[in-house]
Amino acid sequence: MADVAIETVTLTIDGVPVTALKGTLVIEAARQMGVMIPHFCYHPKLKPDANCRMCVVEIEKVPKLQTSCSTPVAEGMVVRTATTVVNEAHKSILEFILANHPLDCPVCDQGGRCDLQDFSHESTPTTSRFVEVKRIFQKEYFSPLIETEMNRCVQCLRCVRYCDEVMDVKALAPSGRGTMTEIKHFSIHELDCEFCGGCVQICPVGAITSRLSMYEFRPWMLKRADTICTYCGDGCQITIQTKENELIEVNSSHGAGRNNGDLCPRGFFGYHVSTHPDRLQHPLIRRNGALVQTTWEEALEFIAETCLSLKLAHGPTAFAGLIASRCTNEDLYVFQKFMRLVIGTNQLDSSARYGHINGVRALLRVQGTHRWTIAFEDIVSAHALLLVGTNITETNPITGLKVKEAVKKRGAVLVTVEALQPAIGTISNITNLAAHHVTAHPERFGDAVLGLIKGVVEEGLVDPSLTQRAPEYVKAISEAVRCLPWSAIEQATGSTSSALRAAARAFADAPRAVILVGQGVLRAPGGSGVTTTLLDLLLLTGHHGRPGCGLAPLAEENNDQGAVEMGTVAEFLPGPGDLTDQAVRERIAGLWKEELPQTPGRTLMEILDDARAGTVKVLFVVGENPVGTLPHAARAKEALERLELLVCQELFLTETAALADVVLPACSYAEKSGTFTNTEGHVQSVRQAIEPVGESRPDWEILSALSVLLGYPIEYREPREILKEIRSLISGYGLLGPAPIPPRPDAAVVEGYLKKGFAEDVTSRYSLSSSTDRQAGNLTLVVAQSLFHSGKLSTRAKGLLELQKAGALALNPADATLLGIAEGDQVRLSNARGQMTTSVQVRDRVPEGQAVFPEHFDQEVRRLLSVSPDPQTGAPYFKTTQVKVEKV
Amino acid sequence: MPTHELILLKNMSTPGYTGSLADYERAGGYQALRKVLGKIAPADVTEMVKKSGLRGRGGAGFPTGVKWEFLPKDYQGPRYLCCNADESEPGTFKDRQLMERDPHQMLEGIVITCYAIGAEIGYIYIRGEFVLGAQILERALGEARAAGYLGTNILDTGFNLDVWVHRGAGAYICGEETALLESLEGKRGLPRVKPPFPATHGLYNKPTVVNNVETLANLPHILNRGPEWFASIGSPPRSTGTRIFCVSGHVKRPGNYEVPMGITFRELIFDHAGGMRSDKPLKAIIPGGASAAFFTDQHLEVKLDFESVAQAGSMLGSGGVTVMEEGTSMVWAALRLMEFFYHESCGKCTPCREGSSWLVQTLRRIMAKRGRHEDLDTLTELCKNIVGRTICAFGDAEVAPILSTLQYWRHEYEELIEAAEAAELITPEPALARH
Repeated sequence: MADVAIETVTLTIDGVPVTALKGTLVIEAARQMGVMIPHFCYHPKLKPDANCRMCVVEIEKVPKLQTSCSTPVAEGMVVRTATTVVNEAHKSILEFILANHPLDCPVCDQGGRCDLQDFSHESTPTTSRFVEVKRIFQKEYFSPLIETEMNRCVQCLRCVRYCDEVMDVKALAPSGRGTMTEIKHFSIHELDCEFCGGCVQICPVGAITSRLSMYEFRPWMLKRADTICTYCGDGCQITIQTKENELIEVNSSHGAGRNNGDLCPRGFFGYHVSTHPDRLQHPLIRRNGALVQTTWEEALEFIAETCLSLKLAHGPTAFAGLIASRCTNEDLYVFQKFMRLVIGTNQLDSSARYGHINGVRALLRVQGTHRWTIAFEDIVSAHALLLVGTNITETNPITGLKVKEAVKKRGAVLVTVEALQPAIGTISNITNLAAHHVTAHPERFGDAVLGLIKGVVEEGLVDPSLTQRAPEYVKAISEAVRCLPWSAIEQATGSTSSALRAAARAFADAPRAVILVGQGVLRAPGGSGVTTTLLDLLLLTGHHGRPGCGLAPLAEENNDQGAVEMGTVAEFLPGPGDLTDQAVRERIAGLWKEELPQTPGRTLMEILDDARAGTVKVLFVVGENPVGTLPHAARAKEALERLELLVCQELFLTETAALADVVLPACSYAEKSGTFTNTEGHVQSVRQAIEPVGESRPDWEILSALSVLLGYPIEYREPREILKEIRSLISGYGLLGPAPIPPRPDAAVVEGYLKKGFAEDVTSRYSLSSSTDRQAGNLTLVVAQSLFHSGKLSTRAKGLLELQKAGALALNPADATLLGIAEGDQVRLSNARGQMTTSVQVRDRVPEGQAVFPEHFDQEVRRLLSVSPDPQTGAPYFKTTQVKVEKV
Repeated sequence: MPTHELILLKNMSTPGYTGSLADYERAGGYQALRKVLGKIAPADVTEMVKKSGLRGRGGAGFPTGVKWEFLPKDYQGPRYLCCNADESEPGTFKDRQLMERDPHQMLEGIVITCYAIGAEIGYIYIRGEFVLGAQILERALGEARAAGYLGTNILDTGFNLDVWVHRGAGAYICGEETALLESLEGKRGLPRVKPPFPATHGLYNKPTVVNNVETLANLPHILNRGPEWFASIGSPPRSTGTRIFCVSGHVKRPGNYEVPMGITFRELIFDHAGGMRSDKPLKAIIPGGASAAFFTDQHLEVKLDFESVAQAGSMLGSGGVTVMEEGTSMVWAALRLMEFFYHESCGKCTPCREGSSWLVQTLRRIMAKRGRHEDLDTLTELCKNIVGRTICAFGDAEVAPILSTLQYWRHEYEELIEAAEAAELITPEPALARH
């Protein structure tokens, strides 16, 4: 954090002396002492606009009333918020607003939580002097999810300002003049924006509301549960509001959670998954080839009996397990304990394998931490931010907001190395804010990083104290990058050496610098290596270990971090501790009072190989869907069909569950309690919002019940008991406070890395990727995350389906012209592996030569993709391939 | 019939004067610039302008030199001059003439100002409807650039300046200086909350001076002939120099009259503008544009300077003097102005936005003989709730016609209301149509 001298001033508000930080606004100073000055346009997140004139107060020695939202406190200031003059002024503003405001509170969704209603009840008479005719706006269709009723608008422009200042989307604007001012979007067709719901949340009246919950509730009927969103690793706090066990709406109050009340479309509009009609209500069992409904008793007994006989016949190495990182820490913990103790195998893995493990492994290797050494606050207060391989708005929207805040409000220098290029669009594009941008090919982020390091070395930006401390390290890396010719780097990255040098300088010169690493790197071949090289960049520029500086891999799934820490990945025990580390094993065995299995861990791809080879005969799958996620080339289906027993705990009958012998209905996050660990390593409470759907049960409870039948009971009464056990094993799970306390890098590990560790693979990391040049006429197909979906679960959310129903191929205008394709045309994608047809979107931000397809609707696209496990970490790579695109 | 020397209108009053650079130079143009650039320190130029007592001619009458001094001295980075040529005040038409007939006079003033404040870019924000003015300015800028009065290294002094013309898009509010800046930045023209003031956070958040056309046109003369000379004209010490008054309404010779400040309304209207157009006596005067409170025939002896008009309860404003003869309905006059303000209220802040629509509807109703006695109290109170509670001065302006007509001619309102009561016509009007 910055070392800024904190200056305070003392003033008097309503006769009470108050001390506030210099620069605090009077309205905030009053709020701090418990005086709420009525207001509409003011919002702590937004720059003061002082347009509603509601918050006026008397300030001694100032002749006119002053708006407290735009007046900073001053030493000796005397403020009065409730004099006759002030009260009369408040009344007059309300009288003015109510002149044109319709009295339709009985049908307004905001009724009961409306600022205008509340202030009016406080201070205006029940009748109005206004006898003229009210202004009327014609009702206009706005968008499928957001409803506007402009007659209710008080023109405070909070929505417009939020959309611009916080989201950087600028989708809304006031249109018309004077009393005919209404909030509109820019185009003639319906609203096309990020649909973060911010305008709905920030509207003080009922002018902008959600269509998903329209007319379904009155605020006082709703039951609220503060919990955590599951659509990405950001870990936003959401409040699920329910009425009679029905999900009515989701919001997040200002100041709440790590997201500070901001949400993205997935968080705000994507909540209907839990109550989707396709949810599995009862256990299913396979009889005569078909899955039929059964009872819990029968299903569990069948599993137990089959398991026992197969274990007797083949031993515990015939068993393996996969779990989704969407599960709570409690589920994950019980799962690995179940696999290790009840079954007796370490052959288990989770969806953290898809990429998150790459980041964690690099962090552990270089600095000995498995978590970020920074928090969101450090992103906001960084002077320079380097984003590598992350279209952050679409993958981690709220971390993206922190970046936007740092750049837009605090003037941080943004350096982006991204596949997408800067271009104006309806979704904010983080590269548009970049001072230095490298449009790197999605397979060559590593080359761009080497270019930056070469820039640092050649510009003489290497930290002198590091040169002293680790001369060999600096020498080795300097020599390695000197050997890389600029011409090759320029060719690989499409950036000039001077641009890369300038970006390197901007990053190196910043007192506080943060690197954010996204899926583009983490889910790419050698992702762990590139992340390690990025840590080299931090070390070389002297940022590593400095307060507020650090490298942060962005988690894709809500509990990727928890999955690693709970030990539900092949290489780790809870902690995470290395599976092969004897001290770790002994400690855990001591706490569990049981020997740990000796078998090595197996990764996701290895487990599938084993199943295909017939050595693994039983697979427990909890919420994970390898058949639906991996490309056809991974032959997951073939592997699972060879199993003798496949048990799935699922919300829906997924592609994987459809192959199962027993399918057990599991609870979604809305129906259970527990904890998630977000991308920054912050452990947060998940709270139950609705009763379990059908006969579904939490995953940990299912595993616990099975353990009893398998003769090795691991029983807990409630998730809190599991958390208690987790606490005894894993640090960082003690206090669920409002903000994370990031760990510091382990100096000994860093020293070891600088002395010796780096040398292991310095040659391979510091060589440019072998260029697999695109064949003429082919495009690089990139499978990417969309802002409106997360994995496949969100494709069951009716709100999100309104925004994006199907996948479409995004092409650069130049390529589209070349291929004779226009927006909306049908195209055929083909390569040696297969073909598919889809429609086309022409988008400026897609670079020439690339074609981007969302990964959520990709039943067909997975035919085209190849898959290759990372040699170091086993992370399967299947994000890019080459295809031929033809108009149909 | 002028008995005094013309300053600003002198060139264009010379027969055959076209406003071209050659004509302007022949008339002694750009001599002040030669005298100033590189020879007088910028701070001294500012000091001279302060000494001259020149006050802004746009409406508020703020001392020009003092305004320049508000710019931060030690600020490194760009600073701007914006010439406010968005002359939109009803009854005001002086800037238009100054720009169309003698553009170089104003340009010379712009170069001098930019030199004094250290700006290297100046913008002329011209009212969108002034198409001719914009064309003439573009031509004049071209001439000035070609002659080396603009561009790099002006007159070999090392001073660089370029000036750009930006046409507005038809909003009255963009004459308000902060709305002008917003509009110039390409945004919706809405006033900003002050503080901070443009002097520190103006165009693109940089130190900025906004000066009116007539104000700038005075500068070459002040620097040519000295601040003492300027300060001796008019009614010193507070109102120095001449002003161009735009006389309109029921007079014989409406038009622009440049006179020393301090002459009386009687002199302006009867000696210069030829008196009333018919034999009907004078009933009302709007002394300084639509935003100024009305005067009656009792105010004819009031002097046309900042203080005297303010003391008498109105303001000298933009210099637009509108004269009305006996028989003019003052309720109608107030309604006519209120219709303008209702149409032009930008809608940013509540009192002005909602107040203007409420006031105009009530006035329309009274005018249509559907008023009620309590309407007059409502009007007064609404006006009181607008004054001083808005972001910009628009709020104060829009209530001036109503409050002053209610003060002097309340009986005219009452007569209309009594007629309404007699006819029992008190149903409201149909809904407001869209603009």
